[in-house]
Amino acid sequence: MSAIELTNVSKSIKGKQIIKDLNFKVEPGEVFGFIGPNGAGKTTTIRMIAGLVSISEGDVTVMGHSITKEFSKAIRHVGAIVENPEVYPFLTGMQNLKYYRRMIPGITKARIDEVVSLVGLEKAINQKAGRYSLGMRQRLGIAQALLHKPSVLILDEPTNGLDPAGIREIRQYIRALAKNENVAVIISSHFLAEIELMCDRIGIVKNGALIDVQSVDDTTTDTTELRQVSIEVDQPEVALESVKAAHQIDGDIVDGLVRFEINKDTIPLIIQTLVEKDLLIYKVETSKTRLEDKFFDVIGENVIE
Amino acid sequence: MSNIFNLVYNELLKIFIRKSTWVLYGFLTLIIIASGFFAYFAGNERTANYTDEGWQEELQQENAEIGANAEQDVFMLGFNLERMSENNYYLENDLQPVSYGAGQFVADASFMISIVSLLTVIIAGGIVANEFRWGTIKLLLIRPYSRAMILFAKYVGVLSFAIITLLYVTVLGWVVGLIFFGFDGFNPQVIILENGSHRYESVVLALLTDYGYGLVSLIMMATLAFMISSVFRNSTLAISISIIILLSGSTITLILSRYEWSKYLLFANLNLRQYEEGGRVAIEGMTLPFSITVLAVYYVVFIVLAWWVFGRRDVAGD
Ligand SMILES: Nc1ncnc2c1ncn2[C@@H]1O[C@H](COP(=O)(O)OP(=O)(O)OP(=O)(O)O)[C@@H](O)[C@H]1O
Ligand SMILES: [Mg+2]
Repeated sequence: MSAIELTNVSKSIKGKQIIKDLNFKVEPGEVFGFIGPNGAGKTTTIRMIAGLVSISEGDVTVMGHSITKEFSKAIRHVGAIVENPEVYPFLTGMQNLKYYRRMIPGITKARIDEVVSLVGLEKAINQKAGRYSLGMRQRLGIAQALLHKPSVLILDEPTNGLDPAGIREIRQYIRALAKNENVAVIISSHFLAEIELMCDRIGIVKNGALIDVQSVDDTTTDTTELRQVSIEVDQPEVALESVKAAHQIDGDIVDGLVRFEINKDTIPLIIQTLVEKDLLIYKVETSKTRLEDKFFDVIGENVIE
Repeated sequence: MSNIFNLVYNELLKIFIRKSTWVLYGFLTLIIIASGFFAYFAGNERTANYTDEGWQEELQQENAEIGANAEQDVFMLGFNLERMSENNYYLENDLQPVSYGAGQFVADASFMISIVSLLTVIIAGGIVANEFRWGTIKLLLIRPYSRAMILFAKYVGVLSFAIITLLYVTVLGWVVGLIFFGFDGFNPQVIILENGSHRYESVVLALLTDYGYGLVSLIMMATLAFMISSVFRNSTLAISISIIILLSGSTITLILSRYEWSKYLLFANLNLRQYEEGGRVAIEGMTLPFSITVLAVYYVVFIVLAWWVFGRRDVAGD
């Protein structure tokens, strides 16, 4: 059973279709990235999954329960932050968490302490949440979402407002949650670079439609898939020439880096050639051209309807 | 599924932890203490301690003094004449009067239920709208409860607030009365002037009667504010409409009373006291069952609207 399944989900508001026939599944233990330009429909989709917004057509199931027909059973498994991290400003961080604890049976006091230390909020937890910075509210929001050990975690732009250290912690934590506790995670973002590091699969949305789903995992992707490899060497021209001579591969030089479009298997061969030519290699970088191109194709021509 | 009690607890927590609620309570406290001062310094209360053997003579003497001083004391004439007629009632019915004290002060302060209504309307008007304003509605609605249940907890929260606040003013009133006027028994019997005639009654009963009539309008206005809060997500609108009706309802009724249709207005029916013996009915042709029916219809409409809109609404951006 998938943790989350969307079947033919559409949403119309005042005659305008803003979400168009979405179909995807997220398995337990999987981190699914939801990426797209402003106004693409990420938040609306997340709101439909959480039952905050009605579904015009189709259905969403969470752990096998329909969010429309068996709301309580389905939502029991969901933890979420939707758009901004909201808190009760007149309650302390701890009072906020205790408030949510009261609404779902079986959450222990120890669990509260556990999530608090997890999001690194121990020092500020007894301050009024109204005085929290955006990043601190975001952390409290994540703590609130994790309190009842959900099987499905939905995070709408969770790194918004976090400092780099915070982003890294959350990233590591999300990976760990998926791996160790088999939680399915859906994360929305505008930033490919950020989401790439966290997700197993990425769905690209534009104008309310899911236009592509890509696997991110480096080790399992097709080794014949082309990727962009940038190499920093002491003599770029010599490097370019020797690779061309040895492998019949054309490249170019951008910002002093030699760049090739090659598949994974070719990388060691090229490096070997460069080493044999006694060139000094300072850095080798690869990027997933397919996904990036796809994404920038989409973003580049983004017209908010 | 799980415990509705916890939901109501959470609602009350959100109400009572806020400073604005404390300000309202401070306001209540001030009004009660001020009423104590006024009553004490106006000195119209029956403060003499009547003896068991000679209370009849003491009352007669009081009447004689009032009669003798009537000309100098023009300012107090109204009070004094009323006191005389009360004294006569005690004498005629052979009832020994009690001196003024905490119990009677609480009964006299039963108008506080209107102020409790005002506060309840403020709470009811904010209870749904504020969640939208804070954005916390999203987090509240992704818990394993139906929306109807969440709203029900809020409604129960509002009514609980009203009851807690009413208890607070009653207890505080009694304590303030005790400090100013002393103890007059737990349930003293006194004469109550109502609709121009005297009635000998226990103060507890008189208080409960006042509260009972007051609760009708409290519940109706709180439900109206709650409904507007749920439908329009706007606490200012909810609070101002309800308070305007609460404060000027009887005046508006009077102005519109020449129109036949005005008897169907909510505020023409809020005061059920008009049907008590000797009371004046606001608009001709109105009866108690009529008013109860009108109120019931309004109530059902408010409740249905509040639940229907809240249950269906898309909780999207503002
Ligand atoms: N209540 C509404 N009425 C009309 N249109 C709406 C409503 N809510 C959302 N939309 C439209 O739906 C589209 C998707 O909005 P949504 O907030 O889901 O985008 P998003 O992908 O989350 O964007 P962002 O990256 O800016 O957060 C937008 O074009 C928006 O104008
Ligand atoms: Mg969004």
